[in-house]
Amino acid sequence: MSSPSLTRKFWGTEFVSPVMLASGTSGFGEELFKLGCLTGAGAVVSKAVTMKPRSGNPPPRLLETPFGLLNSIGLANPGARYVLENILPAVSNLPCPLVINVAGESVQEFADVVSVLKESGVHIGYEINVSCPNVAEGGAAFGVDPEVVFRVSEAVSQVADRPFSVKLTPNGGDMVQAAVAAQQGGASAVTVCNTFLGMMIDWKTGKSVIKRKVAGYTSPALLPLVVARVWQVSNAVSVPVISSGGVSCGQDVLQLLAAGAEMVQVGTRLMRRPCAAGELLDEMKKLTGEQ
Amino acid sequence: MQTAGDYVCTVLSSRQVLPGVFSVEFESPEISSVALPGQFVQVEPSPGVFPVTRRPVTINRLTESGFELLFDVVGRGTQLMARFLPGDMVRVMGPLGKGWDVDQDKTWLLIGGGLGAAGFQFLVDSVRSSGVIIGASGADRVIPVQAQTVHIVTEDGSRGSRGLVTALISEELLARADSIAVCGPVAMMEAVWNTIPEAHRSKVQVSTESRMGCGWGVCDGCSIPVSGGGYRKCCVEGPVFPGDTIDWKRWKEAGL
Repeated sequence: MSSPSLTRKFWGTEFVSPVMLASGTSGFGEELFKLGCLTGAGAVVSKAVTMKPRSGNPPPRLLETPFGLLNSIGLANPGARYVLENILPAVSNLPCPLVINVAGESVQEFADVVSVLKESGVHIGYEINVSCPNVAEGGAAFGVDPEVVFRVSEAVSQVADRPFSVKLTPNGGDMVQAAVAAQQGGASAVTVCNTFLGMMIDWKTGKSVIKRKVAGYTSPALLPLVVARVWQVSNAVSVPVISSGGVSCGQDVLQLLAAGAEMVQVGTRLMRRPCAAGELLDEMKKLTGEQ
Repeated sequence: MQTAGDYVCTVLSSRQVLPGVFSVEFESPEISSVALPGQFVQVEPSPGVFPVTRRPVTINRLTESGFELLFDVVGRGTQLMARFLPGDMVRVMGPLGKGWDVDQDKTWLLIGGGLGAAGFQFLVDSVRSSGVIIGASGADRVIPVQAQTVHIVTEDGSRGSRGLVTALISEELLARADSIAVCGPVAMMEAVWNTIPEAHRSKVQVSTESRMGCGWGVCDGCSIPVSGGGYRKCCVEGPVFPGDTIDWKRWKEAGL
């Protein structure tokens, strides 16, 4: 099998590499740009944006585990209007494309956030986070029910003037069916996948260390779980698959591309290595011999 | 202004200064030439992948060609850091965060509890200080600080006077200071804040600590509850804040 080309055209945009920075691990790209760490990044995916400002969850929001990281940030963000007026103008000069991650508590909220943000020309597309709780309909995550995923995807496609990916959840439901539903609703890609539910309990108190009890788990050890899901989903849909999770070296990215991913997100690795995008690209070039 | 960089630094020295408390000196003219008192660095505790985050440590003092960190071993990351040997090459990002507000020519009173004083030397070396109060559980936890006037208090009385730092805070000491630096466990800092009369509170700056993901402002993991609701990021808006910024009640509930 021939090595995949590392530069690519995706959503009509030229990408210098298949590496995207996962939502929540690089803000809106400004800090890493100032640190000189966006070299080699194909794109930045922003932190989640909701309609109204959210201050986020009470601390502790993070807990490192022996082989990974639990997070419970609570979608902290200043709200769509503030992002449109204050943040996007400040990141219009990023050296790579920006994708905005969108979260909501109802089907309508996803469409509303996109309707506000589309006044800006700074970003190339959206990533729709269907892993958050559907507050309007009982609190289960949108992503576990393919019918609801279809409705979110359809609602966004009716208002979006540019491509969007639906970021699927591994926590309950059938991810392959959810991916098919996202595609039928009009999604231009699917992201596989969001964090895995995790929990750590202080045995002395019997209580969860994280106040919201369960949290999102990320780890390099999740690589085989993500590879399996990317392989399953990419065999079931015709839209591109963006992988998210499990990446710590260039070989991992190449493996995810071989599993069927078109783009590969790196997240938690950025906590150790803010310049991971460039490092991963260099490692891949060495492995494939591409200049 | 962005002055931080990610550097591979050589370990110049490593030693245990108190039981379980280590001093590591790094060579890094790049970091030490721009660092300000109260700023911190993010240290990779090991090569490879695990643990998945770095360890944030306040710069204790500048040295001839770099800086010194003082830390106690509290978990896996600091266990690995305690094993650093001279000659080791370690990746360190810094300097990070907003340190003590030392813009003006002021006289400082420093109040530290336990490992909270493990950053005071840099401040003492940079400003005029009228006194340093150091509190600890016992003699084996008293962080060494070289200053003209150091008052030591221990809970078990094994060094200095017996009691808590709050017992040494006097109107006279407070009146002589233009700025007051406080750093220690949350409960200690809150007790100090409550002991300081209203008239002197505007002088107080506190250095906070939180579990950190990145250290450069992107992950929103280290947020500290502030008065009036909401949060501020410990890593970029702090770690040093004016004392009245902190919502002590909500911060204590975090149980950090």
